[in-house]
Amino acid sequence: MSEAPRRPLPSPPQESQAFWAAARGHRLSIQHCNACGQAWSPPSQLCTHCLSADSKWIDAAGRGTIFSFVVVHRVYHPWFANKVPYAVAVVELEEGPRLLTNITGVDPAALRCGMSVTVTFEDVSADLSIPKFTATPSA
Amino acid sequence: MREQSKRAEANRQAIAQTMQIDLTRQFRDKCAIVGVGHSRLGRVPGVSALDLQIEAIRNAIEDSGVRLSDIDGLLCRGPQDVYCHHQLVGARLGINARFSTSVDSGGASQALSVALAVMAIQAGMASTIVVGFGGDAWSSTHANEDARLANDTHGAKRPKEFGLEYGFTGAVAAHALGAQRHMDIYGTTREHFCEIALVCRENALRNPDAQMKKPFTRDDYFNARMVVAPFGLFDCSLRSDGAGAVIVSSAERARDLRQHPVLIKGFGSFNNTRGWFADDNMVHTAAARSGADAYRMAGLGPSDVDVAQIYDCFTYMVLTELEDYGFCKKGEGGDFVASGALRMGGALPCNTAGGLLSEGHVDGMLHICEAARQLRQTHAPARQVKDAEIALVSGHGGNQVCHASLILGRD
Repeated sequence: MSEAPRRPLPSPPQESQAFWAAARGHRLSIQHCNACGQAWSPPSQLCTHCLSADSKWIDAAGRGTIFSFVVVHRVYHPWFANKVPYAVAVVELEEGPRLLTNITGVDPAALRCGMSVTVTFEDVSADLSIPKFTATPSA
Repeated sequence: MREQSKRAEANRQAIAQTMQIDLTRQFRDKCAIVGVGHSRLGRVPGVSALDLQIEAIRNAIEDSGVRLSDIDGLLCRGPQDVYCHHQLVGARLGINARFSTSVDSGGASQALSVALAVMAIQAGMASTIVVGFGGDAWSSTHANEDARLANDTHGAKRPKEFGLEYGFTGAVAAHALGAQRHMDIYGTTREHFCEIALVCRENALRNPDAQMKKPFTRDDYFNARMVVAPFGLFDCSLRSDGAGAVIVSSAERARDLRQHPVLIKGFGSFNNTRGWFADDNMVHTAAARSGADAYRMAGLGPSDVDVAQIYDCFTYMVLTELEDYGFCKKGEGGDFVASGALRMGGALPCNTAGGLLSEGHVDGMLHICEAARQLRQTHAPARQVKDAEIALVSGHGGNQVCHASLILGRD
């Protein structure tokens, strides 16, 4: 018997640890620049718009739209063998930044660019929750 | 646009205008491709990427008629984990070089290296430069499952977050994001992608050295397994062992050599280094500005191009690059392709040796070789674009954002 494949998990560099710590508390946290007023992601020490060091972490509303998406059929990593096909998307948050993520709970055939999505969190372990997105319930 | 970038753009335009006469005078038609060569392609087990590259360089030298001792420049590239690759090439060729370095912009590296070669020659840093690439992508990914996994998930070099935890890895998924967005915005379909795949395969079947030997049909395209939708198997380029090389010298010297000179009329490069996810780079690639600079240097435009070698790591990339190079408007690539324009005898025969999709994935090196061969007009009639005078070559790569362009012309 071969061992079950280990799930690939993030190993965040220094600058991203606040993002993952917030995610553990089911908050989608992004950096916001006090100098130019814009937000960015992925995390970095200086603002990627104006290189200011004067920034803070803010909680994003968790709402956005699908900028683009794909449906992965090939098993690149053995942990995903029983997960294919699954949807990977780039979601543009209301605050501006775009995040790579999964879209869950939506038939891949129904996905479209521009679709409204809302964050949801998958609790992976005591230390880790992974932000994903799902269709925004219609009001 | 923000004030700052508006100012930068205005400056750029002013400088470009002032410089233009000089750029053209210094570079247009000043250098030529004088030799081309490739190694065995496809599955070449038991031969290293480096040895394949030496094989291609030897063939290019022989083709050109230059002496090995004339070569004083090396712009070479090999598998990504090799440190100072160009030094290894020099050692196996047994030569020292005045101008020598490895170039690291993914699939844009080869076209960019030809541009760098021209600059180096015009700066007096070298006279005869080898541009080469060798890879062993087929053998290195088929050795065993560990090798396959390491390649597909980038081994120890994989991004530490925002990637594999979401099951996102590799070039197929990244480019597929662009394809899907183009489809949703402009109504592009997999029928359009299929046409590009078919054109490359049909061209490869006329090329006895191509990796792929079997025809496929539209039905085969649609019945093939999906890899990362919207890409199926035939949307993806090959994994190949193989190498290619070209030799660049001054146009003056080229006229005393063995082959009909292929002039380097223009080049350009642009890099959407803000990233593939930034702006709208997935559907507006760096080819637009890279191409515009190359056209300007050459004093030519899209309607002057007789044959195009477009970087085709995936079918979709050909479509969007054709738009960005101005062969049709943005969003009309689907119709342009569906018109049959890319076929032999069409308005813009494309990837006439089969491309990365069907000839072999040698990181764009073979696109340059094929463009030069078309302009020499020495192919067998079935492969030869009639009266080919001007060729466009594109190189695209890095993390989907680096681009370089060449416009070549028959002397």
